[in-house]
Amino acid sequence: MTIVTTDPARSPGPRGEPGGPRGTAIRPSRLRGLRETVGRFIARTDGLAGAVILAVFTVLALMPELFVGPLETVVSATGASLEPPSAAHLLGTDELGRDMLNLTVHGARISMTIGLLATIITIAVGAVVGIVAGYIGGKLDIGLMRVTDFFLVLPTFVLAIILAPILLDIIGAEAEILGIRATLLVIVVVIGLTSWATTSRVIRSQVLSVKERMFVDRARVIGTGGARTMRRHILPNVVNLIVAQAVLTFAVAVFTETTLAFIGLGDPFAPSWGQILSAAQAAGAPGLRAWWYIAPPAVCVVLVVLAFTLVGNALDDILNPKSGGRR
Amino acid sequence: MTTAAEIRGRRQWPLPKQANPAAPLLEVEDLSVRFAMRQGSVKAVDGVSFRLDDGEALGIAGESGCGKTTTALSLVRLLPANGRIRGGSVRLFGIDLVPKSERQLARYRWREISMVFQGAMNALNPVQRVGDQIAEPIEVRLGQSRDASHKRARELLDLVGIPKQRSAAYPHELSGGMRQRAMIAMALACDPAIVIGDEPTTALDVMVQAQILQLLERLRRELGLSLILITHDLSVIAETCDRVMIMYAGKVAEEGPVTRLFTAPRHPYTRKLLSSFPNIHADRRTLDVIPGAPPDLRNPPPGCRFAPRCSFAMDVCREVVPPEVRFSDGVRVACHLFPTPDTAPLVVASGPTAPLTVGRRADGAHEAAPGIPDVPTPPPAGRPRGLDGADPEDGQRPLDEGRSAS
Amino acid sequence: MSEPYDGLAAPPPMPRPDDPAAVPAPVSHPAEWSVAADAPELLRLDNLEVHFPIRGGLLDTLTGRAKGVVRAVDGIDLTIRRGEILALVGESGSGKTTTGRVVVKLTKQTGGRVTVDGKDVSSLWGTRSLRDYRRRVQLIFQDPYETLNPKHTIGEFVMEPLIVNRIGSKHERLERAMAALDAAGLRPAADYAARYPHELSGGQRQRVVIAGALVMDPELVVADEPVSMLDVSIRTELLRLMLDLRRERGLTYLFITHDLSIAWVLADRIAVMYLGKIMEIGPAEQVIRTPRNPYTQALVSVSPSPDPPAAGERASRTILVGETPDAAHVPSGCRFHPRCPLAFDRCTVDEPPLFDVGDGHKAACWLAEAGPLNLPVIEAVEAAGGSEVAAADIGVATEAAS
Repeated sequence: MTIVTTDPARSPGPRGEPGGPRGTAIRPSRLRGLRETVGRFIARTDGLAGAVILAVFTVLALMPELFVGPLETVVSATGASLEPPSAAHLLGTDELGRDMLNLTVHGARISMTIGLLATIITIAVGAVVGIVAGYIGGKLDIGLMRVTDFFLVLPTFVLAIILAPILLDIIGAEAEILGIRATLLVIVVVIGLTSWATTSRVIRSQVLSVKERMFVDRARVIGTGGARTMRRHILPNVVNLIVAQAVLTFAVAVFTETTLAFIGLGDPFAPSWGQILSAAQAAGAPGLRAWWYIAPPAVCVVLVVLAFTLVGNALDDILNPKSGGRR
Repeated sequence: MTTAAEIRGRRQWPLPKQANPAAPLLEVEDLSVRFAMRQGSVKAVDGVSFRLDDGEALGIAGESGCGKTTTALSLVRLLPANGRIRGGSVRLFGIDLVPKSERQLARYRWREISMVFQGAMNALNPVQRVGDQIAEPIEVRLGQSRDASHKRARELLDLVGIPKQRSAAYPHELSGGMRQRAMIAMALACDPAIVIGDEPTTALDVMVQAQILQLLERLRRELGLSLILITHDLSVIAETCDRVMIMYAGKVAEEGPVTRLFTAPRHPYTRKLLSSFPNIHADRRTLDVIPGAPPDLRNPPPGCRFAPRCSFAMDVCREVVPPEVRFSDGVRVACHLFPTPDTAPLVVASGPTAPLTVGRRADGAHEAAPGIPDVPTPPPAGRPRGLDGADPEDGQRPLDEGRSAS
Repeated sequence: MSEPYDGLAAPPPMPRPDDPAAVPAPVSHPAEWSVAADAPELLRLDNLEVHFPIRGGLLDTLTGRAKGVVRAVDGIDLTIRRGEILALVGESGSGKTTTGRVVVKLTKQTGGRVTVDGKDVSSLWGTRSLRDYRRRVQLIFQDPYETLNPKHTIGEFVMEPLIVNRIGSKHERLERAMAALDAAGLRPAADYAARYPHELSGGQRQRVVIAGALVMDPELVVADEPVSMLDVSIRTELLRLMLDLRRERGLTYLFITHDLSIAWVLADRIAVMYLGKIMEIGPAEQVIRTPRNPYTQALVSVSPSPDPPAAGERASRTILVGETPDAAHVPSGCRFHPRCPLAFDRCTVDEPPLFDVGDGHKAACWLAEAGPLNLPVIEAVEAAGGSEVAAADIGVATEAAS
């Protein structure tokens, strides 16, 4: 005989809401958890500052035309060559007479898009490798980790410099895959190739500790197979880390793209910030004291990378499970 | 088991300058501790009073959430960031520690009161040698030289039963029992008057637990230590302590000599709690069930906090907080079944439930213990007394003397 | 320091205490329903062994050479009849948890045989038969805070075994999950099913774990320290629940615990393990009251009881010196001999088998070779490996006086 009787109509529902007959709702929304996370995030100044900066740049990246009109080209250049900032051109012009503000804002879209694509590849590959290696262990783990180590020690830029021309040769510089130009694709692939290893290492170490937790044992006792365990038990408990890693990877991706473009491996038709900097150097802007050519894209890169890093660190702190749900 | 009468007396170090030699060793009066949380403020400890004399071992028992650990932590002011002492006094040698600043408190922390924590693995620094960790407080707080501190550390290790050579070991190289002994050595480093043990044996095997308890007993005898033992395990208290204080939901339910409390428990919670512990040496194999769960301290029930779960609950219990009553055998209870002259009319008006029998024979049957009246007789024996136990009207001796075992 | 106090989850609605029917009955033995004498065997372990190799560095891994062996379970024989509760008692390092894990097939045995209901299930690693096995044998875990995935609801937890093993339709699974939650005392089940673990108290979570085991309708339940992390007053409720379930569903329990007192209250039979071997096994009453192995006797004598010793009279306790040694370095002969207060010559050389000491009671001790022997109580053992009480004092013949 055990604790008995309570009128279901009078009992409080979950989370203190007014009770009532419950249907078959076994999976309620996880909005409350999300709201709580957002609340804790807002409480941190560093994360909040980063988020605000990111929000600004995201809006600019999504709708550049709204703010500065269409991307100016050689043909549609509106100003004289290398004009310093003035009322007409807030950030001056480049050597082709294009408005710098216009270029910088459009550059946001390109830089961030490349960053996003690269991040998706990195996280997808890194998380899968990390989870599989960490959970299955044994020889598979050893093998995958050696591969990861190999990619970890490769210097990013050296690899990029070597790979980019080779890939371009193979694909053909003018080719387009899924509407994305080959040069762009190469950048994305190269960044992905060099960044996934870190993510996989980080995820794997978290998986190693999640794997030891009792609910994973319980899943095994009831006969859950490996695939389902990884999907339903391991993944939800590392998703926090994946998100934090994604944000940090984004930052690295933007920076890497900028550098690659600067050394001439970018797409000249897609004026990302790195491209702009490269063009600035080619035009001799430093010698000509045309600071307005160099400063805007550089500052933007720094701001965006900083913002991502702040947000990523804040998320990491907030979402990191401290103890396994103990009250 | 060593009784307080056998203890030689506290160690011979000079008392702090402000100490009052005539005052009891430790006197806690009306202590209140609040925790500030997002959902509201929680009074984890609500008006707790007790006293510890020279060479005594006091056990504080209760389940999780009753406030026993918070009480212990607030004695040395090691509360977490959101906890604050909101009222009451903690008098060590007559010196009130509550208003002291952190800097002033350093004189007392570890030197007069120290603590043995639960889970030695968490309290020991894994990258520092055990001997160094024990020598550290000696060096820092007593200002002794490095060599002298290390020598003393090795002596302490020997005292707690760890071979001196192991002083160079790291915590992970020691077994669970040895780590707990190292923790005890650390607590003894500055030769304190009081050692607080917070569940010191809970995580250990029963045999290791017996070894540690035996060690504590020996240390009490040899060093004249006074002990406050915090645990949920009443069996451990029964075997090691002189007096026991049962806490429930932040308040004291019952307190008194171990021999009295265990053989003649008065508070319904104490009685239920006692019979929730299996007794391997008894004939009957029975465990009682206490229905329900402890209250949410953000919103404690009005009146007696145990009322929702109590089989003897009367109407007055749900409205009025029961005042503390002291019996002549040294037991304090806070329960309307033992009312004061002020609350007696309320109790009689609300009508008692079943007659209360107190006392438990060895075969498990209950009998009324002598000197404790059955309800609803108006209480001649239970009258509130001051903490010093004197009752001038009675002409009885103050409770300090004549602390007989039965 | 201690974690910041964060209160407790809201408790479930409680019965009115003055309603006698609502107050749960105490857990009481032997008034409980006891096992029929002719009940069939459900679980049988024959010479079960679980040895873990200790791996060395990289070179050793490559050459496959083990540095040593941890003999966690070193040859045990055990039977449990249908409807019985057998308590497997031991300290840390005794191998009791590993034994439990082998029975539920979380750990693979390295030797010996496991038989369930007459069928040998030792090498059952194919899918179909393993699924059947898992349906019949379930595990209740120790830590109610860790067994529930914090990201899943209670309902998801309870339905998971049915989903994984593809039992029943969606509707049927839901019904069975609700029935299991109800049987575990969580009413109304639908309410609890939608909650997350952090909203429940420890006792409620453990009930959820029990519901998760019940939903498969098992026959044998291995309970690994199911109440040791709960408050004392909650423990009794859970034990009460387990006993009720036995009566209602005919469950059989292998109850693993380090607490001899809980075994005393709950179990029909008790088996005491030390360093991978069973030291003593028999009806609970006999093992506790008349232990025939010095280790059991020591454990019983140091188990604290809530009855304070009367003034002037000291309870005699046999406090052993030292701790259980590493399972990688098992002593020769009787593995308990270095710490045994009654050890003599033969104990250092030969390992004793389980001797019959009457009525289903067996003890692995050379002192029991000739039959049941009342062991003297050695009060305080100052030196390991024996005291002044020589075997001759208790009338046992030895080869040479020590």
